[in-house]
Amino acid sequence: MVFGYLQVQKSELLVREFDAYKAVYCGLCKQIGKDYSFLTRLSLSYDATFYTMILMSLEKSCTGFKGGRCKFNPLKKCKFAKCKSDSYSKAAAFSVITAYYKLIDDKKDSGFFKRLLTGIIKPFFGHWRKKAKKLYPELDEAVAKMMDAQFEVEQDSSSGIDAAAHPTAEMLGTVLSFEGSDDTQKRVLYEFGYHIGRWVYLMDAADDLEKDKKHNCFNPFLNVETDDLAQYQTSVLNQSLARAYDAYNLLELIDFKGILDNMMLYGFPSKQNTVVYRLQEEEDDKSV
Amino acid sequence: MTNPYEVLGVSPSASDEEIKKAYRELAKKYHPDNYAGSPLADVAEQKMKEVNEAYDEINRMRQKGKGTGSSSSSQTSGSYSSNGSTSQFYSVRIYIQRNMIQEAEQILDSTPEGNRTAEWHYLKGMCAFRKGWSEQANSYFTTACNMDPNNPEYRAAFNNMHGQQTYNYGGYNTGGSTYNNASGCSCCDICTAMICADCMCDCCRAGC
Repeated sequence: MVFGYLQVQKSELLVREFDAYKAVYCGLCKQIGKDYSFLTRLSLSYDATFYTMILMSLEKSCTGFKGGRCKFNPLKKCKFAKCKSDSYSKAAAFSVITAYYKLIDDKKDSGFFKRLLTGIIKPFFGHWRKKAKKLYPELDEAVAKMMDAQFEVEQDSSSGIDAAAHPTAEMLGTVLSFEGSDDTQKRVLYEFGYHIGRWVYLMDAADDLEKDKKHNCFNPFLNVETDDLAQYQTSVLNQSLARAYDAYNLLELIDFKGILDNMMLYGFPSKQNTVVYRLQEEEDDKSV
Repeated sequence: MTNPYEVLGVSPSASDEEIKKAYRELAKKYHPDNYAGSPLADVAEQKMKEVNEAYDEINRMRQKGKGTGSSSSSQTSGSYSSNGSTSQFYSVRIYIQRNMIQEAEQILDSTPEGNRTAEWHYLKGMCAFRKGWSEQANSYFTTACNMDPNNPEYRAAFNNMHGQQTYNYGGYNTGGSTYNNASGCSCCDICTAMICADCMCDCCRAGC
């Protein structure tokens, strides 16, 4: 999940909404530092911020803001969103766990220096992940299951879009469905998480297509036969967003609604355009 | 009973116009078309029902004494599940309706090659769609439509897919494609038409 596609569209946010968004981001950063270590803060991502906001909004647990200073840049003043439940520490655990598994995954398919570097930091992350696993075993289990299923899917180079995206989608669906207060809400959260997860996976696949082609790695879009790949990607990605948005509407969230609406309606689609269009430009360059 | 004003998210002092606007927005949001084939269709239906009841309730309270006489004509479209009773895949439809996708797929997969009709493809598509496997669903629906181009049920599912592929809820242009609209703007048209029809109904409904 350390992809960073789940962002806001800053230009469409109100100033106070942007402040609140930053305050959650800083709050999560602080929590990661507190629960794990200074270094682990590097695993902070927009995706985890999105997860935090969904948790806080579901539990209505954000109680206000307080001022403070940024640890990375002591000259910078910043605000932190206060939270009365364990949303932060859950999101912190989720960041650390996903960062750890991503590290293992990266180690398999990268160059010598990157392998060396990950070899050095891996034991640290292994230690932090153990700590996170102790706090939230169900999160670790869901992510571990995803990694296994993903490995299996990628063994078969003919795997389609749906099958390839399923492990990530299922993982996020499961992780979010833990938060439901009753069966119906669990179902809605599962569907929401499933399609957000699917979207994130497919965004990553679209983003890495050129790289994967060059290095002969698995990528579900390599199997697609179409005249207009960018257009195809847009329609597949759109559909995931549409289904996630339909589920999102049934959640009837109130806290952070402006920010979450912004992400669903502007942030994600615009990020999607950036990724898909860059691909298209590269294709055009080649044909010239 | 819950406060109808809360359901619509308006204050009790809101004007009729504001209430109508809030109602329309919610009705658009929970419209069955958005959730056709979705595993959450029942949740949306429940929400829609609550919104309708709240709107009716408010109108009843406000119209008391004004004495309009028209009767309610809430138009619920049953087109999504109506033509199943005579089909050879009746049990599959029941399973899908109950969200028992594995059982439905088992029956479908054991159907011999020769019996795989347009309906078979449509139902395979429904199963895939429920699971969230939209791409597979897309190709099954396309085959179903090609095999039986005049069937409104298959066409509706196909159009629903294409509507989602444009994702223009926020008015955000996600690419300016012509491909997505290749099937004509029929889906949008139907949607708009239904919303309009819905609003018309609401005007008459006030006095029930």
